[in-house]
Amino acid sequence: METFDDWKLVLLAPWPRWALFVLAALALLGVILAARGLRQERRRARRAVLLGLRTASMLALLFFVLEPGVRHLQTATVKGRLAVLVDGSASMELPTGEGRASRAAEAAEYLRAVMPALSELERTHTLEFYRYGEKLQPLSGPGAAVEPTDEATDILGALEALPRRQGGRRLAGVLLLGDGADNASLSRGMTREARERLRSLGVAISTVWTGDGRARDLAIESVRVEDFAFVRNTVEVEVTVSAAGMGSLEVPLSLQREGEVVAQKSVILGPKQERQTVKLSFVPDRIGEFVFTVSAPVYEHEATVANNSETFVLKVIRDRVRVLHVVGRPSWDQRFLRTLLRNDPNVDLISFYILRTQQDQPRAPEHELSLIPFPVDEIFDKQLWSFDLVVFQNFNYRPYRMDRYLPNLQRYVEEGGAFVMIGGENAFGEGGYDQSPIASILPVEAVGAAPNEEVFSPRLTEAGLRHPITRLGSSAEATRRAWEQLPPIPGINVTRARPGAQVLLEHPHVVAGGQNAPVVAVAEVGRGRTMAVTTDASWYWAMVAARSGEGGARHYERFWLQAIRWLVRDPDLTRVRVQAVQRTVPPRTPLAATISARRADYAPAEGARLEVDLFDAVTGAPVERKVLETGPDGTARVEFAPPGVGAFKVVARAELGGVELGTGQDVIAVRATTAERGEARARPELLQEIAEITGGGSISSTARRLPPMRLLEPEVVEVGRSEDRPVWDRFGPILLLAACLGGEWVLRRRWGHA
Amino acid sequence: MKRKALATGLLVFVSLVLPRQSPAFGETSRLVFVQGRYDGDWNPRPGALRRLAFEVAVRTSIATAPEEKVLPLDSPELFFYPFLYLSGTRPLPALSRAEVENLRRYLTFGGFLLCDDAGDGAFAASCERELGRILPGRTLGRIPTDHVLFKSFYLLSHPAGRTLSRPYLTGVVEGGRLAAVISANDLGGAWARDEFGAWSYDVVPGGEAQREVAFRLGVNLAMYALCTDYKDDQVHLPFIMKRRR
Repeated sequence: METFDDWKLVLLAPWPRWALFVLAALALLGVILAARGLRQERRRARRAVLLGLRTASMLALLFFVLEPGVRHLQTATVKGRLAVLVDGSASMELPTGEGRASRAAEAAEYLRAVMPALSELERTHTLEFYRYGEKLQPLSGPGAAVEPTDEATDILGALEALPRRQGGRRLAGVLLLGDGADNASLSRGMTREARERLRSLGVAISTVWTGDGRARDLAIESVRVEDFAFVRNTVEVEVTVSAAGMGSLEVPLSLQREGEVVAQKSVILGPKQERQTVKLSFVPDRIGEFVFTVSAPVYEHEATVANNSETFVLKVIRDRVRVLHVVGRPSWDQRFLRTLLRNDPNVDLISFYILRTQQDQPRAPEHELSLIPFPVDEIFDKQLWSFDLVVFQNFNYRPYRMDRYLPNLQRYVEEGGAFVMIGGENAFGEGGYDQSPIASILPVEAVGAAPNEEVFSPRLTEAGLRHPITRLGSSAEATRRAWEQLPPIPGINVTRARPGAQVLLEHPHVVAGGQNAPVVAVAEVGRGRTMAVTTDASWYWAMVAARSGEGGARHYERFWLQAIRWLVRDPDLTRVRVQAVQRTVPPRTPLAATISARRADYAPAEGARLEVDLFDAVTGAPVERKVLETGPDGTARVEFAPPGVGAFKVVARAELGGVELGTGQDVIAVRATTAERGEARARPELLQEIAEITGGGSISSTARRLPPMRLLEPEVVEVGRSEDRPVWDRFGPILLLAACLGGEWVLRRRWGHA
Repeated sequence: MKRKALATGLLVFVSLVLPRQSPAFGETSRLVFVQGRYDGDWNPRPGALRRLAFEVAVRTSIATAPEEKVLPLDSPELFFYPFLYLSGTRPLPALSRAEVENLRRYLTFGGFLLCDDAGDGAFAASCERELGRILPGRTLGRIPTDHVLFKSFYLLSHPAGRTLSRPYLTGVVEGGRLAAVISANDLGGAWARDEFGAWSYDVVPGGEAQREVAFRLGVNLAMYALCTDYKDDQVHLPFIMKRRR
């Protein structure tokens, strides 16, 4: 026999809801019509009696139509779920205090201690165990080991990932165990949005913290800097540093570029000011990719020293090529070069032209002239390194006592600067440069011969045919044709190429030192580049070439702009390029890079042999070497085993058929720590706040008991069968309906109503 | 004949006693003035350019060729000499199509044209008309006295020539620089000397002081042709502003 332990009223009428509404409206209409028919009745009592009888009739009628009944039920109580979340992030590896066990061990110990209490809760709730860190993962049971390996802590994400209802059981409560060192949406503390998200979970979260938040530690919490910076423009690096349990102290911070200190600043931290953000600024003086390290000293008994430095890669680019144009006297060659440079939006041109020499007689006092003194000291002592390219055009240095500054120019080039000397009666040997300190950086040297004023057509050398400076056409043949079409030029300084220099254009028959005299020659000097143009008539390639159309003029522009790009090492003109897959990587990550090699004609170099070395960027010590070959697209991928923490350079040298294609490099920073491991301080206050917002309790793991928990009551649900018993088909209601209808009919007739 | 020999001797003497420039590296980098030849009175002030070349060489570091070239306006040889001087006393006859095309390329690719009216203003007006054909779409306008042309070497406050017929210069800008300048004050008349070294024309109304201004303007024009807006560079401004006060 079935037993029922609950009941409820139900309507058994099979009609749709809208039909019930229509019937109710009709009943109401019946009452209203009755009221209208009774308007002539003056006796209020009679009117009330008749209206009451009609209303009762209509209600009784509705009662029959709705068919009310009683449903007898069988019910059961369903247990809610209690989710126990254990922190599995890497920060749990840190000790709970100086000389104490790790937070992970403390959490495990706590769970063991409260297991009996949790078992008690199992009577009313089902227990579920999870680990959280980067994401939420179920654990096999209460005793499952939780290895602190996750490289992030996302508490809110883990709570939101908990299923609200699972297997018909709702989530009744959460017990959250960890150090509170969140580095996701709660990394900056509790925000309004985070509060809303916690409240919307609709469940009380009780928290247990491990670690007391008083760990002694100095940490560089974050370093903010743009991905790239402009050379010679101030770069600001925003560093947030925090100290916990260290008392008051002044922390000297230093910013280093691959071992060289570029900025320093001190910051004062103390119990009232545990966190400060400071800006370290510096002015990068050369372009390229560099590894920078922000570091703070390591103090005694710190919880971790991995967070006392932070590494990043900064790409330094140029905003515009800054050119210093020094001219011995105004000439057409200077005018056309100036016009070209001035019209190029990528060039920032600084010019100094000698408009009057000691011998000239302007026939006017100084104040009627617009001349200014030549600021030799300012330019060649203080500002020289601010230029990407220095051009000496037919400039005689001797009258300006520049002997003492020329060594600066030599050093400037060797350290990465670019220098061009353009011919004329004051250039090269004629200008006495063969005896000067910069003789060694020039691609050519004087031979003691007088300038040759004969008109000639310069001849491309084999190197010139391929070199990006003299490549005027899309192919070697087009380049050769373009040069042949340019007008002949008059006069060169007769020189010969220095060892190691490349001659790109040469005189067809003037010979010096057994070689044809160079017209355009280039050289690599230290980290810099130089070029010699031994004529002062390159402007012919613009103006004279324009006699028959504009094609020639374009060649002049192309020649000089390509020369500038090559001289200042435009990355697009590099034939071997190394590109790190990631320039900043976390610890224990392999270093990967893509290498592309191009042939002399800049086509992909298939089958090129690559020697790729990994160096320590600070000490220069080799770490690993790999040899590989490029594919059909001229590229190859290289991967090095994780080398440890620090700054590294990947340097590739490419060779094709025994001919060297060049070298390229990129830098990779292996960070000392991740945000997860760098945050040594536990944050019990965050866990307390979570509990407070959601209505749970909070406690330290050292209490070895459960925190106050406000679990949702078990749900009662219908199970098994039910039975409906109608109540409308009884005698009483029928009698009531008949009495009301009959009574109204009798009284209406007696009181004279229709 | 004797007169010519005497003049040559004088020139040799002057060139010996005056400080010498460094010899230029061939003719290519020297400033060579070219006088444009056309059907009509193309050379009303003989010797003017020779004197200007001399003065430029003496006063500045620019190396000049002592003698000007004379070339027709449709000559491709013009392109070897980017400073073209055009002078006249009567209206310039309408240029042929070849001349217009040649001058358009010349000015577009870097040439500089100085038109000098040695008459009553009709030549200047005709030059303005022809420039409209040579560089269509470009606006010809007055050159303000704060233009770099007036400070390219000397600090000048106004233009001058043999006369002061028009207290301003006009010009056409091409590619960010003045490609053509028109003077109606007979610059050549102020510059010209005869073979004995005497000034060919009196300068009115300012006399020798005005002649000096004309020479200074000539030097500035040569300097501008070679250095364009160099004196507008930031580094020069404090000095120039101080001296202008």
